[in-house]
Amino acid sequence: MPNNPASDNTVQRRVVGIDVGGTFTDIAVLEDGKLTVHKLPSTPDDPSRGILQGVKETGVTSAEFVHGSTVATNALLEGKGARTALVTTMGFEDVLEIGRQARAELYNLEMDRAPALAPWELRFGLPERVDHTGTIIEDLTPEAIQTLIGMLEESGAEAVAVSFLFSFLNTAHEEMVRDALQKMKNPPYISISSRVLPEFREYERASTVVVNAYVGKVMSRYLGELEGPLGKGLRIMQSSGGSITARLASEEPVRTILSGPAGGVVGAFYSAMQAGYPDIITLDMGGTSTDVSLCPGQIKETTASNIGGYPIGVPMIDIHTVGAGGGSIARVDTGGALVVGPESAGADPGPACYGNGDQLTVTDANLFLGRLLPDRFLGGRITLDRERVEGLMDSLAAQINAQAQQAALGINRVVNSKMERAIRSISLERGYDPRLFTLVPFGGAGPMHACELAQELGIPRVLVPARPGILSALGVAIADIVKDYSRTVMLRGADLDRGRLDEEFHGMEGQAKEEMTGEGLSVDKMLTRRFLDVRYVGQSFELTIDYPSRNTKSDLNKIIGDSFYKAHLRRFGYADKKEPVEIVNLRLKLDVPMDKPQTVPQIIGPADPSGALIGEAEVVFQEGSIISPLYQREQLTCGNRVSGPALVIQMDCTTVLPPGWGGPVDPFGNLLLEPE
Amino acid sequence: MPVDPISLEVFKNMFESVAEEMGVALQRTAYSPNIKERRDFSCAIFDPQGNMVAQAAHQPVHLGAMPASVEAALQEFPNALNAGDIVILNDPYLGGTHLPDITMVAPVYANHNGTKTLAGFVANRGHHADVGGMTPGSLPLSTELYQEGTIIPPIKLARRGRMNNEIIQLICRNSRTPDERKGDLAAQTAAIRVGELRMREVTERYGMSDTLEHMAALLDYTERVTRRAISKIPDGRYEVLDYMDDDGLTQELVPIAVAITVTGDEMSIDFTGTSPQRPGCINAPVSVTTSACLYVIRCLLDENAPANQGCLRPLHINAPRGSLVNPEPQRGVAAGNVETSQRITDVLFAALAQALPNVIPAASQGTMNNMIIGGHDPVRNKPFVYYETIAGGMGARPDKDGISGIHTHMTNTMNTPVEAMEFAFPIRLKRYAIRRGSGGDGKYKGGDGVIRDVEFLAPARVTLMSERRKLPPPGYHGGHHGETGENVMLKGGYEEIRLAGKELVDVEAGDVISVRTPGAGGWGAPEDEQSS
Repeated sequence: MPNNPASDNTVQRRVVGIDVGGTFTDIAVLEDGKLTVHKLPSTPDDPSRGILQGVKETGVTSAEFVHGSTVATNALLEGKGARTALVTTMGFEDVLEIGRQARAELYNLEMDRAPALAPWELRFGLPERVDHTGTIIEDLTPEAIQTLIGMLEESGAEAVAVSFLFSFLNTAHEEMVRDALQKMKNPPYISISSRVLPEFREYERASTVVVNAYVGKVMSRYLGELEGPLGKGLRIMQSSGGSITARLASEEPVRTILSGPAGGVVGAFYSAMQAGYPDIITLDMGGTSTDVSLCPGQIKETTASNIGGYPIGVPMIDIHTVGAGGGSIARVDTGGALVVGPESAGADPGPACYGNGDQLTVTDANLFLGRLLPDRFLGGRITLDRERVEGLMDSLAAQINAQAQQAALGINRVVNSKMERAIRSISLERGYDPRLFTLVPFGGAGPMHACELAQELGIPRVLVPARPGILSALGVAIADIVKDYSRTVMLRGADLDRGRLDEEFHGMEGQAKEEMTGEGLSVDKMLTRRFLDVRYVGQSFELTIDYPSRNTKSDLNKIIGDSFYKAHLRRFGYADKKEPVEIVNLRLKLDVPMDKPQTVPQIIGPADPSGALIGEAEVVFQEGSIISPLYQREQLTCGNRVSGPALVIQMDCTTVLPPGWGGPVDPFGNLLLEPE
Repeated sequence: MPVDPISLEVFKNMFESVAEEMGVALQRTAYSPNIKERRDFSCAIFDPQGNMVAQAAHQPVHLGAMPASVEAALQEFPNALNAGDIVILNDPYLGGTHLPDITMVAPVYANHNGTKTLAGFVANRGHHADVGGMTPGSLPLSTELYQEGTIIPPIKLARRGRMNNEIIQLICRNSRTPDERKGDLAAQTAAIRVGELRMREVTERYGMSDTLEHMAALLDYTERVTRRAISKIPDGRYEVLDYMDDDGLTQELVPIAVAITVTGDEMSIDFTGTSPQRPGCINAPVSVTTSACLYVIRCLLDENAPANQGCLRPLHINAPRGSLVNPEPQRGVAAGNVETSQRITDVLFAALAQALPNVIPAASQGTMNNMIIGGHDPVRNKPFVYYETIAGGMGARPDKDGISGIHTHMTNTMNTPVEAMEFAFPIRLKRYAIRRGSGGDGKYKGGDGVIRDVEFLAPARVTLMSERRKLPPPGYHGGHHGETGENVMLKGGYEEIRLAGKELVDVEAGDVISVRTPGAGGWGAPEDEQSS
């Protein structure tokens, strides 16, 4: 991931980052290095309404707009995409449905499989075949394509995905189909796999290109509507953490599926880097789920994501999601254990304290424990119903033979243990020790749980950004423009020479630069970076390493081997230097660095935080019920030191400091909490 | 910390995450596609008595069989398992299932009041693609265990942290693919070490007493959940008789009978009436039979309940000695784990369907469709062994259709991508499709099987080990049965030759083997579909 400080020659511009969440639409305006933020309720029926209203309220008329969009995600998860057809090699039409043949839940007799986005009657096989060397062993005939066109016309397909076997080694047949379909009377939205994801593994590739086709129309229409009022400069956040022009996002919307969460990680990483903490674990706790991501000095990507049961192979920030959030429901199961989630009260009816639901949630437990203040929630927009929660908590407590307070603390502990498990899996399971990282919580609920969670995991420090509630909008605004390209080559031994690799990369760069120039982006500011996906011969897990630079003199095979062995040792704990390796994919990243807000560090002032003291309240911790001071976050100034027990309150977020935790506000406005 | 409903959930999450972390370590460091790509392995955590406390959600067929491995290690080395030791085994009659499944067990010692105390065990099991024996893949149509490969009784692979690499050498020398074996065994060892480390961290964090108390409490917890589930089943005796197609040597049907008796919150499962052990290799060691029982019970519990041995406490299993489901030593067992286990599951569900008609689905494909290919790759100039299991139909449910082309019940291994296979082996896939219409009709339809057509680009020896080629998966409550599976060879790509369910066949370049897997049973009479 890019993290280039703004260079001197970048022109000062006005950039507006827009993040649309389930509850709020956040707008971050970045101008002359200064950041201002605006927050208003989302309009889920038509997100653009909230966006345009919000932009109007900020008073900004002309700017570069960058948008973290959930439109593609929602179309996918709610099944509201186009009527999509899939064209495959004959005999392999059902690969999309069979998938990897495994079931998601071992012991659930009632389990469902996510329905194939291109249903059976819309999957068409064509006689053609390319083998594993890229040689065509069965030609695709124009007659076959004509027959296909007839069937497509009859089928009423609005979008067509094409994914032939080994098309990443020979694109001819897919391109023939694309060119022919474009000449149809009413051409559908067309997406070919050799363009969207030219990589091996036919199911994952087909799934990716089908998702792309499925959400394509919805996304183009939506972006068309926004481009009118916001102008042609509109960019969209991609799941990889870089932004891209709206036009390219319309062509490859599958790259924007995790747009919003990606913005959060970019914002968190940026805030932590600025404060001097490059190794972080992000904790984005929302209503129904929590996203965690490990950034060891850089934001990490994965090409093996699964969204709603659909594998997606384009690069995404490596985010692990666990079904535990503020709205997760607590109950006692048949064996007498207290369980929390994955069922969620969602936005409707919402936690019991919102006044509608009858089921206790994590948010209700926080309210009961005094960690959320009923009259200060969302700046007082909603008053929380504590009485309703008390009754429910009493009956839950009775079920487990405990006091209500213990039950509420228990809900907290259980939900923390789920988040702990998620963090263990992204750190320890991948060879990283969480005790060497800083936890960066954001989202509405993250800062409420962060210190206790850090304590459990032995994480020594929690960095709460100045505005944890709008971090995604900030991340979206500062994201560089990034375009990713890849190609499976499968080279080893004698085939692996620099001439061949350079030639392949050169071809990819040509295509990339042409595409970016076509978007009106200047090529001279562009950075290109080359990577290789390498594995032991015949194995099925690849590791991404840097492509060795041109001026190294030693044997290419050896350099690649050495970096691979190093990466393997880190990730898997061992490396056999005698085993041969092979290059699976070439990856190219094109990067146009964007301005970052040049926040002037504040001068460290007095430690006494009493200027921000707004009262006190009884808060329950593991140690018992303690009268704790309340601080207004916006009034804390650099150098102010707060010590737990305490609550730090802001409009959309509360930070809980348990006894024994405390720390200063740093020169960038972050709260740096450590065990004292 | 005393045990309470809250700490119970916290410890459950922790033990499961240790088992999962072992699994990740094993999968990531393993060498063979079978473990890496198909995930044919399991990892579990045990208390000091050898009771399984948590298993990561890996392969159900290993569920009841993992505890048998720990028990065998404990019996072989009473009071002689030291910190740093690893016991390795695959003997189906001493803690194993079938020979390709190699298990490692290690004690975990941690500091308790200044002395090293046994905190429990960690174990993992991986399916190795070849451990020798009469045919490539070590799942032969055998008549005795000795033909199936290298037998490893419980022996120490490591003593106090020092590996005995000679054992590895011996195993590798007996395999057709020694490099793979070496890599996979190293991965299993690495996963054991990760498990030990994490378990020690748990005891350091919470103290030995609390850790042990919570292990016991989790077993009690699962027992309570299981008793609760059983008590919801109407009391009564539910009997079922079904058949395996044959044992691969003769053509006779092989009966499997079960009588489930539910009394309050206890259940007895009696296999009396099941066929005596067979000369062919379909005998299921009692650990496999136990796995099937555990799996079926686990399916009746809330998804949140840990898969541990507490499940077994309310069960009384009677698997007569010398029968197909509890054979005497040295009988062939290659297919017991992969095929007979599926039929045992079928009869258990069929019996429960009488008691719980609105809960239990109709029969699924009832086989794993094992295909094992071995030969010499002329292009890459090296020997190769490839093993896969092929999905089929899932039985229709009381409220919805079954799923097509999916692995059911005792297995959940993944397929190998077509492109990955063709990059690696002298094989070309001609077709991989859903076998439309093979699922049984009904108010709700059974899932369809699949068709997998494999063309060989070089001569090879192929073992097929499959079931439901004679008797189809039944439908329930008026639902129609699914189609039986078919194995066909297309000689030279055209000339159709029918193959048996269990068959060893030598193929030439240009030949195609087409495996057509069974569809599943439907649920409810088809005419009710309109009214639903």
